[in-house]
Amino acid sequence: MLAAALFLLAQVFPLHAQSIEEKAATCGACHGEAGIPQEKTTPIIWGQQEGYLYLQLRDFKRGMRKNQKMSPIAEALEREDMLALAAFFAKKSWPSLEQPSASKDVATRALTAISSVGCTGCHLDQFQGDASVPRLAGQSREYLAKTIADFRTRERANNPGMSDLMNATSQDDLATITEYLAGR
Amino acid sequence: MKTRKRMGYSFAGALALAVVTMGTASSQEVKSAVKYGDMNTVTQDLLNRAESDGNNFLLTNGDYWQRRYYPNTQINTANVARLHPAWIFQTEVKESLETSPLIINGVMYVTTSFSHVYALNARTGEELWHYKHKLGPVTTFCCGPNNRGVAAYGDMVYLATLDSKLVALDSKTGNVVWTADVADPELGYSETMAPTAVNGKILIGTNGGEYGIRGFLRAYDAKTGKLLWNFNTIPENSVGVWAEKDATGRDMHRDIAAEKAQLAKSGDPFKTLGGGVWQNPAVDLETNRIYFMVGNPSPDLDGSVRPGDNLYTDSLVSLDLNTGQYVCHFQYIAHDIWDLDAVSPAVITTVTGKDGKPTKGVIHAGKTGHVYVHDAKDCSLIRFSEAMVPQENMWTLPTKDGARMLPGANGGVEWSPMATNPVLGLAYAINLHQPMTYHVANAPYPQGKLWLGGAFKVIPSEEQWGNVTAVDYNTGKIRWQVKTPQPMIGGVLATAGGLVFTGEGNGLFKAYDAETGSTLWKFQAGAGVNAPPSSYTVDGKQYIVVGAGGNVQLDYKRGNAIIAFTVD
Repeated sequence: MLAAALFLLAQVFPLHAQSIEEKAATCGACHGEAGIPQEKTTPIIWGQQEGYLYLQLRDFKRGMRKNQKMSPIAEALEREDMLALAAFFAKKSWPSLEQPSASKDVATRALTAISSVGCTGCHLDQFQGDASVPRLAGQSREYLAKTIADFRTRERANNPGMSDLMNATSQDDLATITEYLAGR
Repeated sequence: MKTRKRMGYSFAGALALAVVTMGTASSQEVKSAVKYGDMNTVTQDLLNRAESDGNNFLLTNGDYWQRRYYPNTQINTANVARLHPAWIFQTEVKESLETSPLIINGVMYVTTSFSHVYALNARTGEELWHYKHKLGPVTTFCCGPNNRGVAAYGDMVYLATLDSKLVALDSKTGNVVWTADVADPELGYSETMAPTAVNGKILIGTNGGEYGIRGFLRAYDAKTGKLLWNFNTIPENSVGVWAEKDATGRDMHRDIAAEKAQLAKSGDPFKTLGGGVWQNPAVDLETNRIYFMVGNPSPDLDGSVRPGDNLYTDSLVSLDLNTGQYVCHFQYIAHDIWDLDAVSPAVITTVTGKDGKPTKGVIHAGKTGHVYVHDAKDCSLIRFSEAMVPQENMWTLPTKDGARMLPGANGGVEWSPMATNPVLGLAYAINLHQPMTYHVANAPYPQGKLWLGGAFKVIPSEEQWGNVTAVDYNTGKIRWQVKTPQPMIGGVLATAGGLVFTGEGNGLFKAYDAETGSTLWKFQAGAGVNAPPSSYTVDGKQYIVVGAGGNVQLDYKRGNAIIAFTVD
């Protein structure tokens, strides 16, 4: 079933003849028609940073980042398509998943751990990211947790610096960071 | 090897494709306001005399020797207690502020994070124009979207941008005159430094030591943006002499046999070895040489993939200004695996030489916590100062689970420029004490992504603090030292009025007695004062000016203020 869906997507994505809206509509199947993803382990891309979205598509195509669904889709994209899709989704409003705010204790512990490895050096103090660096605030909790886990095992291999920082942080601290960021 | 070849090709391609776009003035990028004054052309003669110019502040660090010693005495130890804000200008960018204001004939130029430039009336703080660089989608920065200022030359001011471009702006209007592509942001290159303008050249380096770049310092033609010369801070033979001790004689615990085996296996790592240059070079027009600091090797903590001394990382380097040809270097830490590199800008001044006689020296404040004093002739080390911060377990090798060593990876002295007082023979440095553990991990070159080779982690349970330290550069002794409640980052200004100015992350901006370190004045700016102060004089009135916008790297409270002070 999945293979069939992927085949279909691959067919849909020669892309050259499509408008950006048509191309983007394909993404909505998983990332949500209104920006709220279908599955909790699928990231929000509406309102995400433009440079970051482009680089992820680029890395899926290069094979530096791997995902059963995304890799074949990105394979069919040219650089211009990637840039256009990134710009398209970056302009959308970030949707609220209405995830609860972390408790004061969890937030305090999370901020101590964040300060220790310097997350805000790139993600900035409100965790909104910028350009090539993704927004984390309000991202799906399950996606954040999965991403952190994948960085730790280096299954997600397109940012070894993030793998190093996640491996230098304890699992308990990472759990508080996940909860804190999801609820911001 | 395949990866390296690709990198080499891409970098060469980036150079070959370097595009200079003339006259791309884009009116929507510039918000014009009332024009003020008639800015004189910034001539080379004016710049040459910056040291004794009691009206302007012409270069990032005051003068070509980068002494940050302002010659006006109107604000002095006797009246500094009356210092108060003359005006406050709020930029539209509330983010990390590291700008060094330039002031030329009553017009001030400041920059902000995300590569904005403002021209202000230096008397009133009124905005004259605002240039907002349209950044490309990809920008790569490790430590905040910072910008440290512009250079001024002729009728233009020069901005180096976060997306790795060099932009020349009309100094009267802020319109773009030309833009040059410096390097590819997708490969980890970015610009945060203020350029240096000299003899028709605009000198800039690059950031990217955390991303596997190959560093450089370059000269562009000030009028046209054409590349005049390029010096790769990483030579094709980066191996060096297999130095086992640092500049102070301490053993660095290198496994030379393992490195040699790795070298035989993987070859010279020069194509992705880092070596950024992100602070201004000092210029000696008497010898036509420049002196600058080269930053850390990539990846920061994992030395196993980069055998050899990793020349010229962690070094003072001198070049011929006309040609960019190598003259001399001195490496502080060969094969650095702690990110304790060389950043704070070089200062040229007269020092007591090896023979006890006055000689032209170059001084640098290291992340190690030492002030190093060199002979300008051959870059050799004359002396190093007492340690300004605690040093413990140097040089413990990073481990998988983290090894504690002091200083932490931010220093000592970070990028913050020193000030000097040539009369007293003192250099003023601001320091951090930030205990960390150093962790090592291995990963292949990630094509422009963050490549740390591990992590440096602040130890949350240990106290952090900072200090302001006056070092006698003729003896290496600490003359005075004032502890601050937080680690220090930003910069220092000294004046002939016997004062030293510097700010803190908690928002305090202070004046110290240059001789004794007594605090003579302080002001709460409401956001971290983490930028180098400048001074200037208009209509016979001296001002001190500084940015208060906080700092990303140490997460100090953000703001958006440029504050000018007077004593009237």
